[in-house]
Amino acid sequence: MNAHRMVWHLLRADFLERVRRYSFLVILAATVALGWLVGTGKLQLWIGTVRGVDNSAWIATTMALVVNTFLSLAGFYVVKNAVDRDRQTGVGQILATTRMSKPLYTLGKALSNLAVLGSMVAVLFVASIVVQLLAGEDRRIDLVQLLLPFLLLALPMLAVVAAMAVLFETLPGLRGGFGNVVWFFVWAAMMPLAIEVGGLFDVIGLNLVNRNLEVAAAAAFGPAKRGFVLGGIERGDGPVQIMRWEGLDWTSGMLATRLFWILMAVSVALLAAVFFDRFDPARGWLGRRAARPRPAGANGAVVVEAPAFVPVPAVHLSPLSEASRRFRFLDVLRAELRLLLNGRRWWWWAGAAGFLIASLTAPLDAVQKFVLPLAWMWPMLLWSSLGAREIRFDTTALLFSAARPLGRQLPATWMAGVALAVLTGGGAAVRFLATGQWDSLGAWVVGALFIPTLALALGLWSGSSKLFEVIYLVIWYIGPMNQVPTMDYTGATAAGLASGMPLVFLGVTALLMATAIAGRRRQLAG
Amino acid sequence: MNLSIERVGKRYRGDFWGLRDFTLNLGPGVLGLLGPNGAGKSTLMRILATITRPTEGRVLWNGEDIARTPDGLRSVLGYLPQDFGVYPNLNAVEFLEYIAAVKGIDGRAARQRIDELLALVNLIDARKRPLGRYSGGMRQRIGIAQALLNDPKLLIVDEPTVGLDPEERVRFRNLLSDLGGERIVLLSTHIVSDVEATATGIAVVDRGRLLAHAEPEALLSGVEGQVWEWVLPSADLPAARERWKISSTFRRADGVHVRIVSSLAPSPEAVPVAPTLEDAYLSVLEGHRAEKLEKVA
Repeated sequence: MNAHRMVWHLLRADFLERVRRYSFLVILAATVALGWLVGTGKLQLWIGTVRGVDNSAWIATTMALVVNTFLSLAGFYVVKNAVDRDRQTGVGQILATTRMSKPLYTLGKALSNLAVLGSMVAVLFVASIVVQLLAGEDRRIDLVQLLLPFLLLALPMLAVVAAMAVLFETLPGLRGGFGNVVWFFVWAAMMPLAIEVGGLFDVIGLNLVNRNLEVAAAAAFGPAKRGFVLGGIERGDGPVQIMRWEGLDWTSGMLATRLFWILMAVSVALLAAVFFDRFDPARGWLGRRAARPRPAGANGAVVVEAPAFVPVPAVHLSPLSEASRRFRFLDVLRAELRLLLNGRRWWWWAGAAGFLIASLTAPLDAVQKFVLPLAWMWPMLLWSSLGAREIRFDTTALLFSAARPLGRQLPATWMAGVALAVLTGGGAAVRFLATGQWDSLGAWVVGALFIPTLALALGLWSGSSKLFEVIYLVIWYIGPMNQVPTMDYTGATAAGLASGMPLVFLGVTALLMATAIAGRRRQLAG
Repeated sequence: MNLSIERVGKRYRGDFWGLRDFTLNLGPGVLGLLGPNGAGKSTLMRILATITRPTEGRVLWNGEDIARTPDGLRSVLGYLPQDFGVYPNLNAVEFLEYIAAVKGIDGRAARQRIDELLALVNLIDARKRPLGRYSGGMRQRIGIAQALLNDPKLLIVDEPTVGLDPEERVRFRNLLSDLGGERIVLLSTHIVSDVEATATGIAVVDRGRLLAHAEPEALLSGVEGQVWEWVLPSADLPAARERWKISSTFRRADGVHVRIVSSLAPSPEAVPVAPTLEDAYLSVLEGHRAEKLEKVA
């Protein structure tokens, strides 16, 4: 079979497998919601107080920038499972025995990722036409101006996201939750780079569009210091000015920068082949770790299993008395905690201890603003297993056939998550208690309840740890770290405390708990 | 101790019935559940293990409907699913302690039980090794150990010998026979020899329906005088396959020895032989299918 046919079928099978899942409908619904935000003006492009007439060029450019800004984050998490799916389903073992080369595989997966992201963009393309017709400011549909922003602005960005997702999946350290955290910071770093530096660093295309629009606004309303905003509430002060803008004037230099990013995407997809283990667990970093302790046989061969045909003495199985069939919640809680903390390396404990010590010794203001939020970021990848673990490791049949899985195991799982919050953030609580900061202590209690409840609810409903990792990261980044009171679940901001945000988060926690219980009930109902 | 399955049916999406009008009454002993792939064995197992609710009918455990009050059964249930996972970072002892806690077994009793079970499944030496580094067979043995943790009164094992080496398979069969004396054991498999070695009763299932439920001796007597051995030249084998119900073939220097299940002798040279459970199983299965075809015709 020739190479392009191989890549095509890899792309096709992977794409069909993904779009036939129920979760894809949810993703498309979220994409439609994004289009709706643009259509209703909640997500708008502003140059100071200037906006364009809602014609094809303006709406498509806005949509393309929305894609590049938001889908570059969310889309990465949506598609970062192509290799993992082959690993989990065992299809990878079959593929590994074929003649398909590693570069073809990673390229095929990157193209499949791009196809999935492209289908989301296709929805937004259609939404652009609908939005333009509904806005009614200019009903002339210019297909070229509608298509160009998607093709030249969005496509290179999505190609990079698609390839990076494959690269992350092939790098053992970035394959799991840690990779999700790393991408969040990569994405966060892309924004200032795009706006401030521009040129080849402007993969999002923000600087490119901004420069063009600044010129157009200056031509229409005279030179002024304006600002570029992609949002709904933070445009410049003053009356709204509307200009007619007919789209970007694509120069060869601009086209070259976009082509550069497409070539970069191809390079990244091919680079992923270098790290791809071809589904051989012995080749990866984990495989090497796993192989180390195995005892070597006399001929140097690795002993994998207890040797067959070794006589084993008869074993008596004692009957279990009725008295020993006694449920103890503490036993389950201890077991859940062990499950949560098992396998942590020394550096994880050292980090947790460091945050605890910093919480006890740093100035109180710093504890509130930085140390506690960081201490509650440290165990994120442990919390993210709550609720999702049973699906991930296929233990539902074992656990759900035990008595009262809803009343016994679920509360123990949740309490183990709360205990983890107490363990890592306990230093701050001691300080609040010692200094009589009761409102901060109250916020701390709410935070300790909120985080594991969020993890449990999202894990139970998504069956994956990824959703919690993404949502928690975003809330953490916006709320405690950037001091936005409405997202402040730790009591890091005075405004948040004053406006009663802890009470709001307590209410949200209660709702999430109800959602988690409903999620487990749904699982139990089979 | 009684498990009563009353007209149970399970409908999946697309109006596909995995199980239909299934009735069975069970007391202590080992019931071997035989059937081809997709017969509905695993669906039945999942219903009995309270994982799946039946669409129609009911299952009574000592008179209690398990769909309404599943916990009565769950506290005395041991279940080994066909596919299951383990937590890769836990070792065998930690994993079994976790399951024991969830099943509500007292800590001290659990520890003793775990020691015995690990010895029983021959994993004492690997007890401290993370389960992620276990082979498929070792993982299967952990599955067997967890199913026996709470000294179950109802033990449901779905394809339990998959991945086990021959010695472990024999040990597990013996264990099942021992356990069957004082509890209900349901063994689902398509390996007839596993059932032959352990079962005190056999149920044959096909396309979601119960075709037969009898003691092995009764099933065997049903095909007494209907099993023949016939030596054929290799070239005649394809024609024989088309004409007769062949349960096994093996090649010898004098030709292919064919085992045929038929009420009539396939040839004057064919000699009658003692039937095996595999012959009886095939006879029930084929007989039912032929009956169905006749009805359709």
